[in-house]
Amino acid sequence: MDFIFEGFLQALNLLASGNAETYSAIIATVTVSSYSIGCSLLIGIPFGFCLGYFDFNGKKSIRTVVDTLMALPTVFIGLLVYAFLTHRGPLGNFGLLFTLPGIAIGQTILALPIVIGLSATAVESMDQKLGVTIMSLGANRRQLFFSSLWESRHGILAGAIAAYGRVMTEVGISMMVGGNIKWHTRTITTAIALETNKGQFGMGVALGLVLLAIAFCVNISVSFLRRRY
Amino acid sequence: MVLPIYEIRSLKHSYADQTVLALEHLTVQPASIVGLIGPNGSGKSTLLRLLGLIERPTEGKIFFNGLCVEPFAYEARFQITLLPQEPLLMKRSVFRNVSYGLKLRGNQNNLIDRVNAALSLVGLPSENFARRPWYALSGGEAQRVALAARLALRPKVLLLDEPTAGVDAASAQLIKEASLRARQESGTTLIVASHDWEWLYEVCDEVIHLFKGRKLGTGRETVVFGPWQPREDGDCQKVLPDGQLIIVPKPSHPHACAVIDRVAIARGDKNPEVKAEQVVLSGIISRMALEHASGDVVVTILIANVPFSVCLARHRISSDGFYPGCRIWLSYDRPAVKWI
Amino acid sequence: MYRATNRIWIIFITVFVIFAFFSAAGAEQDKVLMMATTTSTDNTGLLDCLAPKIKEATGIELRWTATGTGKALKLGENCDVDILMVHAPPAEQKFVADGFGVDRREIMYNDFVIIGPATDEAGIKGTSIKDALTILKAKQAVFASRGDNSGTHKKELSLWKAANLPVPEKESWYVQTGQGMLATINIAAERNGYTMTDRGTYIKYEDNLKGNPALKILVEGDAALLNQYSVIAINPKHCSEAKYDTAKQLIEWITGAEAQQLIKDFTLLGKPLFIPNAKM
Repeated sequence: MDFIFEGFLQALNLLASGNAETYSAIIATVTVSSYSIGCSLLIGIPFGFCLGYFDFNGKKSIRTVVDTLMALPTVFIGLLVYAFLTHRGPLGNFGLLFTLPGIAIGQTILALPIVIGLSATAVESMDQKLGVTIMSLGANRRQLFFSSLWESRHGILAGAIAAYGRVMTEVGISMMVGGNIKWHTRTITTAIALETNKGQFGMGVALGLVLLAIAFCVNISVSFLRRRY
Repeated sequence: MVLPIYEIRSLKHSYADQTVLALEHLTVQPASIVGLIGPNGSGKSTLLRLLGLIERPTEGKIFFNGLCVEPFAYEARFQITLLPQEPLLMKRSVFRNVSYGLKLRGNQNNLIDRVNAALSLVGLPSENFARRPWYALSGGEAQRVALAARLALRPKVLLLDEPTAGVDAASAQLIKEASLRARQESGTTLIVASHDWEWLYEVCDEVIHLFKGRKLGTGRETVVFGPWQPREDGDCQKVLPDGQLIIVPKPSHPHACAVIDRVAIARGDKNPEVKAEQVVLSGIISRMALEHASGDVVVTILIANVPFSVCLARHRISSDGFYPGCRIWLSYDRPAVKWI
Repeated sequence: MYRATNRIWIIFITVFVIFAFFSAAGAEQDKVLMMATTTSTDNTGLLDCLAPKIKEATGIELRWTATGTGKALKLGENCDVDILMVHAPPAEQKFVADGFGVDRREIMYNDFVIIGPATDEAGIKGTSIKDALTILKAKQAVFASRGDNSGTHKKELSLWKAANLPVPEKESWYVQTGQGMLATINIAAERNGYTMTDRGTYIKYEDNLKGNPALKILVEGDAALLNQYSVIAINPKHCSEAKYDTAKQLIEWITGAEAQQLIKDFTLLGKPLFIPNAKM
């Protein structure tokens, strides 16, 4: 048990002393999760918005597929992405294996169903009268689209936070695609896995707390934005 | 002749095969006030949404200033605005709700002044309200903010769907005054759907009665609902709670609605003479309202629980001594009854 | 108010672009060698000790991913790495025979030990590995196996085979953990059972428990328990993009006198771990 307390002290020590390995893992984690969350929001919000906004045949089936994909195991995504990125795979020539962009691809696949599903839900639960209100004030189609999007921002933001949480904490993709290479693709979660394997439980706890601290900072800034807008 | 601001031709609108509105022809003159009256489900809101270019009619055409228009039409988008029933405020501050339409128009000049002017027009001082978030408003305040958002646009046409329903009397009064000011100051055409008959008759140049998606003649007809029971003489009747009978020709359907036009009323203690094919009923005047446009008085008479309305010239009210509460005889011609 | 929204967007995008530059800048370097290795070399810190010396002596920047031997060989076969450092000689020989690897050179060994409760109820202390396994089977003592196709697991399977015993796959006393070495030791300790581990992990385990471990070394030193590490360059004929020349340079260095001395001097918690045995 005492390694939990020890881990807490170690976490403070790591952050305060500017431990290079820890900061390298922090930068890797933040970089790769920013990439993947950026891409998944860029792709997912328009797609999810359309899925929730328009009525078309097969909409329910697509929803079911998206909701199912939310349960994709990270190790499975890792394996899948590895199969594409390995030098003998279809995308092998891009040399993305064991790189941060490679991990970001996997994490985007992980986050995408969450972003799409929750944006669609946010848009669906939007008041039907909103469209009438926006149109009655003279909006054209594009303005109607963007204003509706802006009005559903709180729900979409909740989806983005959920996706960010999933991306930050996953270990399967980072391990499989990134390879846990020191100074390069070692993220906080793969570092935790390594430290645990090495029996350095305290260090593992410390890194876990660092991850929590980052998540806390992200959520603080998000809730600040939410209060302002 | 002045070009009508709106002209509707062969308009028909359906939701899932159910026709909710069918209007052959309708024109609205610029800078006029038109009232829409009718029970719930009569198509008032649908008509306003079509006129507001929110929806595209299933069939038929709408002309605005002589141009055939549809939703998002550039010619009409910035001229027409609709205040929907139970309007919704967007998730932004009051100021940004009111300025939204102006920003859509790319109109940033005097933005603050125009928003403040619109807010004060509906009785919401901007220093207290402009910064409030959308959720910190009462129902009446929200309704007035929504109206201010429309008034700030100085529209050519302002469509109001039940603007005073569900708000307190003070808010209702402010809303009524503000809408009328808009016409006075910028020549805005107002089309108002409301259950507030007295107000509509008072201010409107024309009142259109809608019933089951159709326009009812002059709007002074009485509609009586079924069911109808067959009589021995081949006609049908409806028995009222006080035992009186409303007798009508045989309808196509026992649940059809009878439209009774050309109703005559008279005072007197004894039963008046009954001509052939005429029905006479006894009732009480419940309400009298001045119709602003014609100068006539609309009289509502209760026969048991069925309201009949009749329009009388002003001088007859005084010469015949009608007053609310007085007992009268009401008569109509049986063959003149129409069906819808 | 619109302007404030725009400013926030600009900040977000700037941060994003900066991150993009960061990771792009680190991507291109000429003498980078990608190695797949087993967890033991990484977990013990041996590679952390060697990497700076490699950079100094040869200019090669060594990057490694630590996995099980099975996956390491697979990564080599798929041309995802340039060089392997693994410890499963039969599988390595097959790897080379299949044409995936060349220049296999033995560099060092460490050894495996059988550990068990200090009370040693089965009574295997000091016996040969062959006898120990036979006794464990006869007494049906709890035995924790990695069961994850790792080098250690493969070694254990080969020992059962060498003792002419069938692998007790389905016996209730034979626990397949499917986890790492340290986790497996902990499971064996919880069940008061036996397991086989590499010495490095045992030293760590001993240290974690402040020198008073529940499980003690009972069998060691048997020739069959030696664990040979080798490096293998990926065959450039199989993988045209593999950096064979750089890999070759690394192999030369690591089998050289300087590296062999470094390996010899490497200690874990004050105890030597690897014995260099490269044939120069």
